[in-house]
Amino acid sequence: MKALDNVSFSIEQGEVVLIVGSSGSGKSTLLNMIGLLDSPTNGNIFIDEVNTTTLNDDQISSFRNKKLGFIFQFSNLLTDLSVLENILLPIQIAGSNLTSEQDAINLLKAVGLETQIHKRANKISGGQSQRVAIARGLINKPSIVLADEPTGNLDSVTSKIIVDLMKSMAKKLNQTFVIVTHDRQHFGEVDKVITIKDGKAFQGEEPSTMEITA
Amino acid sequence: MKLAKRMLFNKRGSLIGAVLAVTIGILVIHVNFVIFQGLFDAIVRDISEYRNGDVLVTNEDDYIDKSDSTIVRFFERISYVEAATPRLSSTAEMEITKNGKLIEKTRIPVVGVDPFTDIRASTVYETVTEGTYVFSRNSIVLGNTVANDLGGAVVGDNVKVMIIDRWGEEQTKRFTVSGIAKSPGGQGFDYSAVMHIDTLRDMTDRVDQTGSIMVKLNDPSKAFEVKEFFLASFPNDDFLAETIEESAEQQLAGFRSGIAMINMIGYFGMMSSAFAIVTIQMMLVNGKTKEIGVMRAIGAKRKDILIIFIFQGMLIGAIGAGVGTATGLGYTIYAKETKMSFNNSLPLEVSYNWEKIIQTALASFVLAIIASLYPSYRATKLLPVEAMRTG
Repeated sequence: MKALDNVSFSIEQGEVVLIVGSSGSGKSTLLNMIGLLDSPTNGNIFIDEVNTTTLNDDQISSFRNKKLGFIFQFSNLLTDLSVLENILLPIQIAGSNLTSEQDAINLLKAVGLETQIHKRANKISGGQSQRVAIARGLINKPSIVLADEPTGNLDSVTSKIIVDLMKSMAKKLNQTFVIVTHDRQHFGEVDKVITIKDGKAFQGEEPSTMEITA
Repeated sequence: MKLAKRMLFNKRGSLIGAVLAVTIGILVIHVNFVIFQGLFDAIVRDISEYRNGDVLVTNEDDYIDKSDSTIVRFFERISYVEAATPRLSSTAEMEITKNGKLIEKTRIPVVGVDPFTDIRASTVYETVTEGTYVFSRNSIVLGNTVANDLGGAVVGDNVKVMIIDRWGEEQTKRFTVSGIAKSPGGQGFDYSAVMHIDTLRDMTDRVDQTGSIMVKLNDPSKAFEVKEFFLASFPNDDFLAETIEESAEQQLAGFRSGIAMINMIGYFGMMSSAFAIVTIQMMLVNGKTKEIGVMRAIGAKRKDILIIFIFQGMLIGAIGAGVGTATGLGYTIYAKETKMSFNNSLPLEVSYNWEKIIQTALASFVLAIIASLYPSYRATKLLPVEAMRTG
């Protein structure tokens, strides 16, 4: 049985794309493949014109670090580090000096957490953690930010704040967001919706009418 | 590195456990060294102080015919030499009578000493716990055990000593007990009697003969040089000269293998601490599976993860080696300052063997790093998605 079959679509710079579908439909698998956390048995994934399926393990890590940003359902911050250190982590992994601590502080200001900079990551609320995760996802100025159920663990008020934040960051930074969610209604109007059903991808919200050429 | 440090220090229980494992490994080696090497060195010290000196001169023909004063003067002209003294040994039958009644009779080794040079070259005189050392030709010092064997001989008692001379004739002489000798650890003359060397020469009819010359150095590390110089200076006299390591080899060989075995036990202890580190680090890796997954997801390479956990191993090794060495040194200082003794008897010869101390600390450090290799390797094998899901 195939988790995803004959899936093909493209995403443009600056778009906010939702991947929706029922539980077990394969939307997280698709996101993991775009995020190079999983690899397809067949076919290619191009990001910034690079065929990512040809990269070796180190190149994949490097690519994830430089070209992709991740926001997870449970934020997955490193509890041993402070808020600021969590945001700076992708830069430290890259060993890059291109982004400074000031950029991280600016991002924290943008997500409204400038007062929490030196707090340990396990000392802030779920909504704040997710905002830190957004800042961490953006710090390396990635080509795509991949968000897997970013509001799945939040109440509706906080979910709304996170959604608005992502959308505003996308607009402000011309940042591409690919978001997997089963809470379609929280996101309102977006640039593109891809629906996954039984491992197949359909552009739009009505599988019967929105199928794209594979 | 900061992250590796934080991850480790935030798991205080694991950190303390791992550091304790290294510390205990090192401490076991230090304690072993203080006790067993201290015991070995104490025995070497006593054999050297009481019997063999730092260099022991004998003759291929059992007895030295050259004048002892000539040899002693020769040695005392060498700057490394503290003193030299002649010794002569024999066996005697000894009996004690009180009020004309025979109390006890025993057969014992006797040692003839020159009281004037002996107190400079040897510390046997310090083992005389009652009375005084040999001071005249008819005074005798009995070892504590001999005194007991003679029914409790005390200072001032008269003893009859019978010795078979070189011609097979029995020679008898009466002595006054001037002192009773008892050495801590029993390496002294507890089982012998000590008399004036000239008296023993007379009784054995070995006038002008000497059994051995015991040479005490002010710098024992020069023993080999002194020995070689002596042999080169008297090439035609059939002398034998041995350093303490050579002359006491037979007595020390057993101790050496014992110490080697104890050291092995110590190193096995260290190996056990390495296994403890492996276990604790595996726990750390398992406890941080999710974090490893996240780091891998945001771009950490396998080698980055490897470095984090090996760095933790280095931290554990460094802290453990530091604490262990400090604790071990603390114990060594305590043993030295309190003049720790073996079995409440023989004072241990406690020394600071810096080479061994550094070697032990380095071995622990390296072992901690080696012990962290497998857990680190396991950490690199975690797949990001799986790690985040199961962590």
